[in-house]
Amino acid sequence: MRDLYQRLTLSPSANHQEIRSAVARCPNSALRQDAEAVLEIAERREAYDTLHDTVSDIGRLRARLGLTHGAHWQGDVANDFSLPPDNAISRHDELVDRVSHAVSLYNRWRRWRGPWLLITVFASGAAIGLAMGFALALGLALG
Amino acid sequence: MSIARFSPFELLLLKSRSQVDTATLLLLAWVLVHRQHVSEGQRRRRLAQVTAQFRHGHELGPVMSIAHSQDLQAIQLAAEVVRKECSKERSLSVIHQAITVATDDGEISLANHYILRFLADLLNVVPNTLSTLFQELTGKPLQSPEDPSRDAYWQRHDPEYHARKAREAQAAEQRTKDAQARAEQRQRAKADKQQEKQKRQQEKQRQQEEARNAKAEAEQARARQEQARQHERARQKRWQQEQARHEDARRQYRQRASSPPPPDRTTRALAVLGLTPGASRTDVRRAYRRMAQLHHPDRFYTESEHQVALASARFQRIKNAYDYLMQTY
Repeated sequence: MRDLYQRLTLSPSANHQEIRSAVARCPNSALRQDAEAVLEIAERREAYDTLHDTVSDIGRLRARLGLTHGAHWQGDVANDFSLPPDNAISRHDELVDRVSHAVSLYNRWRRWRGPWLLITVFASGAAIGLAMGFALALGLALG
Repeated sequence: MSIARFSPFELLLLKSRSQVDTATLLLLAWVLVHRQHVSEGQRRRRLAQVTAQFRHGHELGPVMSIAHSQDLQAIQLAAEVVRKECSKERSLSVIHQAITVATDDGEISLANHYILRFLADLLNVVPNTLSTLFQELTGKPLQSPEDPSRDAYWQRHDPEYHARKAREAQAAEQRTKDAQARAEQRQRAKADKQQEKQKRQQEKQRQQEEARNAKAEAEQARARQEQARQHERARQKRWQQEQARHEDARRQYRQRASSPPPPDRTTRALAVLGLTPGASRTDVRRAYRRMAQLHHPDRFYTESEHQVALASARFQRIKNAYDYLMQTY
């Protein structure tokens, strides 16, 4: 399984016209014949694209998990679908971080007696509003 | 300071009674999603059957829907959990389950070829172990996946392959035939035009001759009246004029010869290479290579000398056409 798009320097979303011109420009006759047979016929291209998506997903997974040199990842596939290791951190570590963060937030909330804090803030807001209302009414009466 | 929302799979993992089981479940569902020719119900039944011993304690539906959405981050998380938690025996049993889920009779989809191998690499299962396990479970050896990026794959798997090829060839033939017919028509038109031109020229020559005759008679009459010296001078003058006119005509002719040839030459050169007008430079080069291989004199070396001579003439013609096209195109 080779990545024909990469070998023809195309994007996988290239339209029919772009593919035709890229195939015509390609100097390698074997590759040209294969690309003509696969990419220029709609139903074959569809089948190829589905597999291409899956294999590029696997390539991305392997890059993130450090498996780009596995015993089962050899030949054309490994050449065409291996990505450079990106610096995405481990999803599991990230999950653990987020859970511990959520836990610490929750604990802080409990410690500060969150509900009471909320009620106090609401009450003081109401008191300030009342005071402002009184002041306005007084001003109107005097004026 | 807020934290991003937890994704459905993360929530599932947090709620699960056994994280490894949930993660394995997602990987198996991923394999099942890429299995072909089975219905959704069959997939679910198969998953439930294989994971009857699991202790995750949640529904299978959400896992299936996550697998269907091809959520790469969820799959990565599951892979990390599985890799972290699995012992050697557990790894083998996961691979075992994955093979069971992927196939009943050794027929395995192309995507699952790659997924199974990914799982084997993830769980440190060497190729030998994987193929042995596969052979034991399905009774067939694990083949290397076929390559749909090649023409040969479609030749084997596309039932319409030959019909399509024939159709394409027919269309190409029709196109070349059309082009030939058009070129013939053009040549005929050109020949007609030339004939007409010749006729016109002849007529003009005739008229000129008549005029000259009349003039000569008049001259004779005048010459008889005029003196010999004057006559001589006039003749000399005329001779000079004639010379000048000849010179003029010759120059014009030379100019015409060195002026750029008609664009028709391009069409003819293309026809020599078996191409129609509008072919690209790449097409020209490709056609030239093919024709040169076909008509190279060395190919006819074993046949007669006459054949070689004919071939070299053809080759020369092809080469001239190619050189001309490479200069002008």
